[in-house]
Amino acid sequence: MSSAALTRVMTLFYVALFFAYLFGPLVLMGISAFNTEKYPTAVPWSGFTLEWFNKLFNDTDLVRGFQNSLIIGAGVVVLSVPIGLAAAIIMSQLHKRARSIYYAVVLSPMLTPGVIIGISTLVFWDRLGTALDAEWDTFFYDGIFLSILGQTSFISTFCMLIFIARLQRFDRAQEEAALDLGASHLRVFFRILIPFLRPAVFAAIVLAFLTSFENYNTTVFTIVSESTLTTVLAGKVRLGTDPSISALAVLIILITLVGATAIELRKRAEERKIAAQLAAEKGL
Amino acid sequence: MSADVELDHLTIRFGNFIALSDANLRIPAGSFFSFLGPSGCGKTTILRAISGFLDPSEGHVRIGGEDMAGIPPNNRPTALIFQNLALFPLMKVWENIAFGLEVRRVPKAQRRERAQELLELIALPNQGEKLVSELSGGQRQRVAIARALAVEPEVLLLDEPLSALDLKLRQHMRTELRAIQQRVGITFIYITHDQGEALIMSDQIAVMSQGVIQQIGSGPDIYENPKTPFVASFVGENNAFAGRVASADAGHAAVETIFGALRGRNPAGLKVGDQAVLFVRPEILQLGAGTQGNALKSKVLAKEFEGFASHIHLANSQGERHISFSTSQEEALGISPGEEATVHFSPDRAIALPQGELAHE
Repeated sequence: MSSAALTRVMTLFYVALFFAYLFGPLVLMGISAFNTEKYPTAVPWSGFTLEWFNKLFNDTDLVRGFQNSLIIGAGVVVLSVPIGLAAAIIMSQLHKRARSIYYAVVLSPMLTPGVIIGISTLVFWDRLGTALDAEWDTFFYDGIFLSILGQTSFISTFCMLIFIARLQRFDRAQEEAALDLGASHLRVFFRILIPFLRPAVFAAIVLAFLTSFENYNTTVFTIVSESTLTTVLAGKVRLGTDPSISALAVLIILITLVGATAIELRKRAEERKIAAQLAAEKGL
Repeated sequence: MSADVELDHLTIRFGNFIALSDANLRIPAGSFFSFLGPSGCGKTTILRAISGFLDPSEGHVRIGGEDMAGIPPNNRPTALIFQNLALFPLMKVWENIAFGLEVRRVPKAQRRERAQELLELIALPNQGEKLVSELSGGQRQRVAIARALAVEPEVLLLDEPLSALDLKLRQHMRTELRAIQQRVGITFIYITHDQGEALIMSDQIAVMSQGVIQQIGSGPDIYENPKTPFVASFVGENNAFAGRVASADAGHAAVETIFGALRGRNPAGLKVGDQAVLFVRPEILQLGAGTQGNALKSKVLAKEFEGFASHIHLANSQGERHISFSTSQEEALGISPGEEATVHFSPDRAIALPQGELAHE
């Protein structure tokens, strides 16, 4: 075998191995969702079934956990995007030395282990509730409320980083120009800054929601007596599981694929439009 | 409507640094006024103080007689054109122009109409639906002016708006800006380090150096009658000869230079023995010994060809470059580097000033 052919074979082998490593588990899990076997497994194949999807939708724990995850995700988006934006704007207005101190402070939640954020959120609100003599059904002990706060404390930092990156490309003279033309600071914010930041706002919303949705190590403490999708799943795995989890995975993969394809298609359509415009201008 | 602008003992400090020192002047309503100076001389500071982005450390800015202290930029009757224009990239051209009206809650139909009028004023009709990024540099320039004019300011402030354009366009825009100013009739305050721009467009010019206004006057006045060595050396080309005053009367002073005693006007009343600088503009130097004295014997160092004229550099006996002047092509033909040359000038057109700061090239 010539060395060129050997290189080719080895490259193909490596690529195959890489994709097997990346997608193998997903494929096996996808197959197991349709296998009649009682445990999530692709082999032996004992027959096609949609029963696990049926079971999934009738699993009240899972459905409730899923709903809670959605609520918490929405809550985290509503809180952390504005907080992240505000933090980024403050950052952009600070002078050099103050900036590095500020940066260290606002970045610290991101570097703190999620477990510690979870425990400290729980302890803090529990102490506060006790001190104020609050009832057990108040928000001091509400898992959804605590999870939103706990997750927001570090997810807002992620959002801030996204906004900082975008703000660095903002021309402050535009702000001054708008002020000079008579705009109030509020109008400058909504008419000049927000439109400029729109892509970053979108990215921050998606990131905040996804990070919240898949969070486990903070949520497992802050959720108290409630449950989210991740905590329900973790519980199931511990107790031994059935392929309805695989069915859930298949659904999530499908949603992701559809979303990613839609965004990619839109991007390509825009690129085509710009290319057509450029061609038209050259033609003139 | 157009308003006059008055600076009354205006001083601006940043920490210990004095960006602007005790500026006093009155800019008449409806005039084209330029602040001219090298970068870092404080001219942008003045502009930001007038527009309200900087608070005076001392003194007052008055527009139309009204003290502007405490009035923020969005409530002043001024509009500023930024050096980088600061157009809004996400808005269409007409939305850019009508932004000031949008802020003032003018209905959309009226805003469009006004934008249309302004687009015609700046000779860009039917370009309103484009994005700013689709316009050329000169077109953007004009959009920035239209956007500022849309709010009907009493004073338009321009911060070196032409500096990013190439030479031809810059020359064209000078004429254009002056024409727009005369059409709308409001006060234009223009900041520039380019003396050509200032001389061509302005009714009056204030020459600045290191936070101090050196001289205020019309272009010809500043060019012909500089009050300080800085103004003489910054505005236009000038040959400077330093030396001690050898003789002086009310009208003229003779300065003892390396080329011998040379005579020029003496507006500052220099006395015998004073340290002085004699300024001789290149265009008043003529080949030959002349009849009134003031002849400089020298050696031709180099000859540069520039289309309409040739520039001749002359050296003193040590071979150092000391004099530059321009001459017609025919005359230049008779001169070549290395040869002896004698030039002379009329004492009434040269000027002797007390020693002081010179502008660096």
